[in-house]
Amino acid sequence: MNALLQVRQLTKLYGEQIALMDVAFDVHEGEVLGIIGPNGSGKTTLLECVTGLQPADDGQVRWLGQSLPRGRRRRAMFYVPDGVAPYSEHPVHAVLRFVASVYRQPSRTMQDAIEALGLGPVLQKHVGKLSKGYRRRLLLGLGLIAPHRLLIMDEPFDGLDLRQSREVMTLLRAAAKNGRTLLLSIHQLNDAERICDRLVLLSAGSVRGSGSLDELRQQSGVIAGNLEDIFLALA
Amino acid sequence: MPLPDNLLRGSAPVMPLLCKELRDLFAGRAVWVLLLLLSPLAGSSFIQAVSLYAEASRSAAQFPELARGLSPFDGIVVPTFGALYLAATLLFPFIAIRAIGAEKQDGGLKLLLQMPYSIPWLMGAKLMALVLAWALVLVPCLCALGIWHALGGHLGVGETLNLLLGHFLYVLVISGIALFAAAVTDGSATAAIVTLAFTIGFWVLDFTAAGRGGFVRDIAALSLTAVLRNFERGIFSLAVLAGAAAAAVGLLTLAGVWLSPGLANGRKLISSVLVVAVAAVVVLGAAQLRVYCDMTEDRRNSFPLPDAATLARLGDRLTITVNLAPEDPRFVDLDRSLLSKLHRTMPDVSIVVASNRSSLLGSSDDTYGLITYKYGSREASSRSTGAEEVLPLIYALAAIDPPARGAEAMYAGYPLVADARKMGGWFYVALPLLTVIGWAVQSEWLSRVRRVWNRI
Repeated sequence: MNALLQVRQLTKLYGEQIALMDVAFDVHEGEVLGIIGPNGSGKTTLLECVTGLQPADDGQVRWLGQSLPRGRRRRAMFYVPDGVAPYSEHPVHAVLRFVASVYRQPSRTMQDAIEALGLGPVLQKHVGKLSKGYRRRLLLGLGLIAPHRLLIMDEPFDGLDLRQSREVMTLLRAAAKNGRTLLLSIHQLNDAERICDRLVLLSAGSVRGSGSLDELRQQSGVIAGNLEDIFLALA
Repeated sequence: MPLPDNLLRGSAPVMPLLCKELRDLFAGRAVWVLLLLLSPLAGSSFIQAVSLYAEASRSAAQFPELARGLSPFDGIVVPTFGALYLAATLLFPFIAIRAIGAEKQDGGLKLLLQMPYSIPWLMGAKLMALVLAWALVLVPCLCALGIWHALGGHLGVGETLNLLLGHFLYVLVISGIALFAAAVTDGSATAAIVTLAFTIGFWVLDFTAAGRGGFVRDIAALSLTAVLRNFERGIFSLAVLAGAAAAAVGLLTLAGVWLSPGLANGRKLISSVLVVAVAAVVVLGAAQLRVYCDMTEDRRNSFPLPDAATLARLGDRLTITVNLAPEDPRFVDLDRSLLSKLHRTMPDVSIVVASNRSSLLGSSDDTYGLITYKYGSREASSRSTGAEEVLPLIYALAAIDPPARGAEAMYAGYPLVADARKMGGWFYVALPLLTVIGWAVQSEWLSRVRRVWNRI
């Protein structure tokens, strides 16, 4: 597979504190890549530096082998942040329609996202009054409406119950099958193990391992363990 | 550098962005609360102004020469718009802050900054929405003008439009300050404090400069309240227009700099310094523009036309040395009737205030109260503060004959005995009710009612 996105030596400091140090990984076309790590490991900072929402102190982001300046990244990737309730005083349908019209997406795309995520019952509701689960589905919906080849999501399963998580995983898998590339930050290792093709293990701002589950097993020497065991061995 | 493959190309449509900004503003309650408060405030100002105007007009019926002092612009329009000034100063900033603060708070800004809009487009859309909100806020004042007209009152189109322009520039700069404060700070409360610090700072500056000359007076002339005061006096000044526009653009650019994603704080700071420097140069440059127009119907801010034409041709510098304390009422009189008019009319006037504050308290100096005029190599002094006495003196210094004054049409004034109290219901009940209906129409409350109604 070709590397759609390459991240090299990405470093981010908050004063003296290291948030990211020499982070490097590739995202291949059509794959689901998971950034996994405990809370505070730098996942969100990494995603925001990659998308250009936060300045990095050092490092490079390349798109199909070419350097991708910060100002152009929004043309390549769409980032769905965690813990936000965008336009909380707007009804759900208005927010979906806004994103669809900004990207000149046909109404069919919006309808598909509404149906796929079961947003129909809350379309008239204001975003600020949605439950955590519906808010998460709305964010996923915005990501699915955006036409970018690379979709980056921060904690896409947070706030979803088991059944909902599985439904969303199926949906994301289908999106990947249809040609979209997904970069997900996940702190629930079970979820990550289920959906991701490859994983990047992040701890204290540094990459501790990357690759498929089997490759990670080899790197860690935990031959029969699950992702949790591998992570503990590598971090 | 060519774009790599697979990137989205082209720009995004503007209408969805503008609609979103409008929805942001009108979905919140701030605009509606402002309108709700402004309706009775403007109504009360208007009704009071009409009542006072009617009393003055009654006297004018007995003494017709008094009618010349009855200008609806001063008596009705400016006091009514005073309510708008208060609202723009104390309440409108909260609406402007919301335009960024709400998105910062709910995370919508992170999505917006990824969309294919440039920062100037984003800021432009926010400003456009704010201007439309301001247009809605104007409604009570415009109603008052309509009622005044319906009562038979006169409205000077030029002076009224000029005042509207002044208020527009005022709210433009206030919005710029509020957007900048919202962009720089993390919370809306802090942004509100920063904005109010600016506006109250202008008041303090004005208060401090009152009765002072020199540098403080020059600085105070740049304050927002001074900007509006020009238009309230009926003066159109290109310098003020350009200066206020430059300040608003500068503040919006600053807000844009601090909203730019992925820019390190150091770079934001450097960019801010550059923006401030450029804006300061433009504002100071604009202050040199000497294009004025007296928009008042009674031309109270100008000399008679023949005098104005003659004075405008005097090419040498006229230096006026005033031996009066700035807080002396004679200085205020001199400034209004002569100095300001000369400054606007002649190409090169230099005014030196030679006295200080203590002079008012009792100076034994014989020269106190003396005003010296120097034109070319000639010099003359006078204690008069009136144009009638001083203009011939200036003509003599310039060695030219005073211009012949034609029979200029005398401003007759517009006395009107009217009673607007019966319109109180419009401002105190109807407009607030319409405001509540307006808010309900676009709120979830109405859609709930509609859903319940449909079920029934």
